[in-house]
Amino acid sequence: MLRFLTSFFGNLFQIMLHLLTSKKNIIQNLLSIYVKTIGGSTLCIDVDPKCKVSYIKKLVAPQLGLEPNEMKVIFAGKELGDDIVIEECDLGQQSILHVVKIKRSSDQKNNISSRGEKCFTTSTPNLKNGGLLPLCEILDDSMFSTGSESRTNSISVDASDMDNSSADIKETEISEDHRQRPKKVHFFVYCPTCKDMKNGKLRVRCHFCKSGAFTVHSDPQSWTHVLEPKQITGTCENVPEHCELLLQNKEPTFAEFYFKCSEHVSLGENDQAVPLDLIRPNLKQVPCLACLEAPEIMFTFPCQNDHIACLYCFKQYCMSKLTERQFWQHPEYGYTLICPNGCADSFIKEIHHFRLLDDVNYERYHRFATEEFVLQAGGILCPQPGCGMGILADPDCIRITCQSCKYVFCRNCRQGFHIGECDTVETPENGLLNGNCNNELSCDNESKGDDASRTTIKVITKPCPSCKTPTERDGGCMHMICTRSGCKFHWCWVCQMEWTRECMADHWF
Amino acid sequence: MTDMSPSERRLQKELMSLIKDPPPGVSVDAEQAEQNLLQWTIHMEGALGTLYEGEQFQLQFKFSNKYPFDSPEVTFVGSNIPIHPHVYSNGHICLSILTDDWSPALSVQSVCLSIVSMLSSCKDKQRPPDNTFYVKTCSKNPKKTKWWYHDDSV
Ligand SMILES: [Zn+2]
Ligand SMILES: [Zn+2]
Ligand SMILES: [Zn+2]
Ligand SMILES: [Zn+2]
Ligand SMILES: [Zn+2]
Ligand SMILES: [Zn+2]
Ligand SMILES: [Zn+2]
Ligand SMILES: [Zn+2]
Repeated sequence: MLRFLTSFFGNLFQIMLHLLTSKKNIIQNLLSIYVKTIGGSTLCIDVDPKCKVSYIKKLVAPQLGLEPNEMKVIFAGKELGDDIVIEECDLGQQSILHVVKIKRSSDQKNNISSRGEKCFTTSTPNLKNGGLLPLCEILDDSMFSTGSESRTNSISVDASDMDNSSADIKETEISEDHRQRPKKVHFFVYCPTCKDMKNGKLRVRCHFCKSGAFTVHSDPQSWTHVLEPKQITGTCENVPEHCELLLQNKEPTFAEFYFKCSEHVSLGENDQAVPLDLIRPNLKQVPCLACLEAPEIMFTFPCQNDHIACLYCFKQYCMSKLTERQFWQHPEYGYTLICPNGCADSFIKEIHHFRLLDDVNYERYHRFATEEFVLQAGGILCPQPGCGMGILADPDCIRITCQSCKYVFCRNCRQGFHIGECDTVETPENGLLNGNCNNELSCDNESKGDDASRTTIKVITKPCPSCKTPTERDGGCMHMICTRSGCKFHWCWVCQMEWTRECMADHWF
Repeated sequence: MTDMSPSERRLQKELMSLIKDPPPGVSVDAEQAEQNLLQWTIHMEGALGTLYEGEQFQLQFKFSNKYPFDSPEVTFVGSNIPIHPHVYSNGHICLSILTDDWSPALSVQSVCLSIVSMLSSCKDKQRPPDNTFYVKTCSKNPKKTKWWYHDDSV
């Protein structure tokens, strides 16, 4: 609670500060940044983006009671070299730099890194070449692009050695521009503030104490390193005097990666964005599996075959699966899809990818997901058109009342409540759902309208006998297959029971 | 050309490759398809050494704007509908890749190849056992039929 309050007031404070300073800064083209010390104090400084890190050290040193050469400036997992120019760091307004005092006894660091031996070689800062840039500036797109995941191990470019690395790049098309810097890494995120897909920035903190005064021992080389916990070790600059928990920590300290939106001014440390790791640059120009075009940004399905689709076709795929209710309710990931080619183990883990859908379809996605959740929890959906309220009722209770629309219905046949046997014969009176259907499940399916008379065809809905999802029939045979993923029950429209060979013989005409 | 939807662009590319490099015994009516990319007619010859040797068939492909996420609607049309246990006399084909087992990795070409091999493997020319019932009651669009897939060993 206390933590929440402090961060709340911290945010408020920062927003107010921003309002006060932003106008002035736009005119003078200054950058408002925060400098945070291990002691917990925060300084706000305005700097020219063309100034160097050494200038920042000089600026804040007197206020911290330190000499500039006693300080380290840490940002996004790296200690910034003195000669780095601020605008090379992609800082953005309201970013936070961490300043720590250089420890005299440097043996502590060695202890930690020797325990984290499962991670690669420790990259030693070569501060003489102008020093290190923050991680987001060092990483290049090739490791995070389409089809790169399976090749993770073959890429051995040490990002901190960029200058003499041309010999290490052995991917197929080596062109002249590979002699220059590889393309800077590009991340896409779902930003809850902008409510849209945006460009994202990679940030790093200590997995244990969450302090941003943290430098990585090696750079992440793949999405796995970034998304899975405890992949990359690092040095946390936090000290026991400020965090007692540190004394109890027996493991090496690991980096925890997170993302921020690049497209709005940071609202503080808790202003994070969700990485959309399956949206990647298409450096190898692989064609979309559907339209065969190869635009720059693609959706990569998490399957063994590197199937990829352009974002437009990905959305088309989602919408058609949504209409057919063929999303899967995955116990861990939620309401999601697999690769359209049906590849094994290809569930989309991060369901924020479905935020790419427009508002109307995202709302449908959300509603269907809720309904699916209710069904899996043994609940019932109100059959009243346009209601669909999830109801968890006592299993013995036949007379169900919807709390939302007050409709009273029979649990077994989903028609208006009645005494006696359920009426399974189609008569005009029994069908509340007949004719006046206005729910998408029944109508959208066929909204293409292959002939004008469609609107006059009576759409009749009956619940699937197995999972009770409303299912429509508009002619054709009596053999129904539930379209809901995970159900696929074969049933008979007439008997409202499992389809049998007898049904096939008796009433398939 | 630039205003094409993704499904049309895909169909355009499939059409070009089918014209340039058709599977044996298969040819597309290019002129008609170029006029309306969403409806193609494909001519198919019964393969040599099969029960359909010497016969000519016509297939109609209809595509929606959701193609290739949505399967094409494929039927035999014209005067000669092959007599086959998976082909109804109204031209509807009972083939699972046309509905449940469709995937966007399939194409017009792969559908044609499946139909050729379905015909070629036939040992006994006859209509499906439920042909009369089905043809009387089915919807015009075979994709709306909830198929009970016939035993593939037939
Ligand atoms: Zn944003
Ligand atoms: Zn820490
Ligand atoms: Zn596409
Ligand atoms: Zn796949
Ligand atoms: Zn209701
Ligand atoms: Zn009832
Ligand atoms: Zn069902
Ligand atoms: Zn029956």
